[in-house]
Amino acid sequence: MKTYHDIATDGGSDVAGQVRAQEARLHSRLADVGHIVAVMSGKGGVGKSAVTVLLATALARSGIRTGIVDADINGASIVEMTGVGRKPDRTSKGVIPAVSAEGVQIMSIDLFLDRGTPVEWNAVTQKSAFTWRAMVEVAAIREMLADTLWGPLDILFVDLPPGTDRLPNLLDLVPELSVAIVVTIPSRASRYVVEKSILLARPHLGDAPIGIVENMSEFVCNSCGEVHEMFPGSEGVDFEQDAHLTILGRIPFDPELSKRIDSGKNYLGSGTSKSSGGVGVFSAEAAIQSIAENLNRLLASRTIPAPTMEEVR
Amino acid sequence: MKFLCVDCDQAMALTETRGPDNGSLTVVFRCPQCHRKIAMLTNSMETQMVHSLGVSIGGRDSKVPPMETIQSSLVGYDDAGDTNESRNDGGQSSTGCPFSATVAESGAAPLTDVLEWTPEAENRMSRIPSFVRSMVQKGVEDYARNQGETTVDVEMLEAVRKNFGM
Repeated sequence: MKTYHDIATDGGSDVAGQVRAQEARLHSRLADVGHIVAVMSGKGGVGKSAVTVLLATALARSGIRTGIVDADINGASIVEMTGVGRKPDRTSKGVIPAVSAEGVQIMSIDLFLDRGTPVEWNAVTQKSAFTWRAMVEVAAIREMLADTLWGPLDILFVDLPPGTDRLPNLLDLVPELSVAIVVTIPSRASRYVVEKSILLARPHLGDAPIGIVENMSEFVCNSCGEVHEMFPGSEGVDFEQDAHLTILGRIPFDPELSKRIDSGKNYLGSGTSKSSGGVGVFSAEAAIQSIAENLNRLLASRTIPAPTMEEVR
Repeated sequence: MKFLCVDCDQAMALTETRGPDNGSLTVVFRCPQCHRKIAMLTNSMETQMVHSLGVSIGGRDSKVPPMETIQSSLVGYDDAGDTNESRNDGGQSSTGCPFSATVAESGAAPLTDVLEWTPEAENRMSRIPSFVRSMVQKGVEDYARNQGETTVDVEMLEAVRKNFGM
C-alpha cells in the first residue's frame, strides 16, 4: 500500500501550494529590506518594546530608514509608545504603515482596533481555542510582514512577545535574520530566562549574531546625584562571551524618558537625567545612541550592509 | 493531508467542498479508478486550524487580499482605512463568517474540473524534485484542461514535456 510520500500530489486540496505562495509573497515584500532585526527577551517587563522604539528612532534620526513590526499580538504597545494614528489606509496591494514623528514606519495589530480593545479572534466556538490561537497569531504576524507597503527599508525591527519560543517561530517566517537583540535587566530572574532564550535561539540563528542590551542598568537620583543599583546585588550583564554574542550596551533607568515614552511623545532630545555607567557619566539618551551605533556596526559586518551613521549624515 | 483508496492503492482526488456549515467543512474525495467517494467532515476546531493557516481547501482563483486573516478574523477590526477597492478584494469580512475563505470559492468544484492522474503518471511526477513539483503539476494540469482532457497519463506528460521543450 502506498504511503504519503509515494503520492506526488495532494489530490487537489492545494494547501501546501498556498502555503508556498504565502512564503513567496512574504519574501517578495521583504526583498527591499536591508536587515531584519528581531528584538526578544524571553522575560516580560524588561522594556523590550521601549528599547525597540528608542533604537528605531535613534537610527531614523540619523537618516536610516527603519520600520517596526509589533509582533507582540496580545501585548501590542508600539502604537501607544509612538503616538501614531490608527486605521491605516489599505489598498488592494497592501496596507500603508503608520509613520512616527521621527519617520519610523510602524505596523501593529493595534492599528486596526479602537484604542483599548483587546485582541480576540472570531470563531464558531472559543472552546479549545488553544489548538489554533497560536496559528492565527503567526498568520497575523506573517500578514503584517508580507502585506505592509514598506517600500525600501534599511532596518526592519520585529518586536517579539516575551517567551523563549518566539524567535524560532519568527525564523520560520522571515528569509534571513541579520541580528537578534536580547533585552534583559540586571536581575537574576531575567538573566536566568534570557540565557534559556539564547540557548533555544542559537541553533536556529546560523551566523546571525546575538546582541545583548541591558535595560534599567542603574538609577541616578536627581536630588543627590548618587548612583543606585536598580536590582541590588545583581550580577549585571556578564554573559559568556563567544563569537556570536555581543554586548551592545546598557541603558540606565531614566524616569523622564520613561514618562515621555508612556505618553507617546518625542522621547529623544528631551534633556534626560544623568547616570553613571561605569565608563563615565552619560545619559540614557547617549546610551541609546551608543547602542544604535553598535548595532549599526554589527549590521555593517553582515552580508548586506546598512549605511553607517557617518554615511547617512 | 492526502487520501488513499486502499482497495485500488490509488490516491484520491478532491471533487467537492461544501460549507462551512456551523463551523464544519465537507471535503469530498473520489478514487479516480473505482470512483468510490469519501467525505472528510471537520469539527469547528479543525476548521479553525485550516482557517488559521490562511488557506482555502481546493485552492483559490482570486488574488489573496492583504491582511486577509486579520481582516476576517479580528474581532473589532476597523475598516475605516479600507478603500472601496480593498473592500471588494477582501469581501470576507462583510459576510461575518470567520470561515468564509476556508474552502474554494466555488463551494463545489465541477467534477469535470478534477483531473485524474494515472498511477504511472503519479509515479513519474514523484521523481521530479520536490521544489519544482507543484509548478510542473500546475503546468501539466493547465495543459490538460486546455486540451479538454480529464486524465493525466504518461502520454500527457510526454506531450507537455515536448510542448515546453524540456
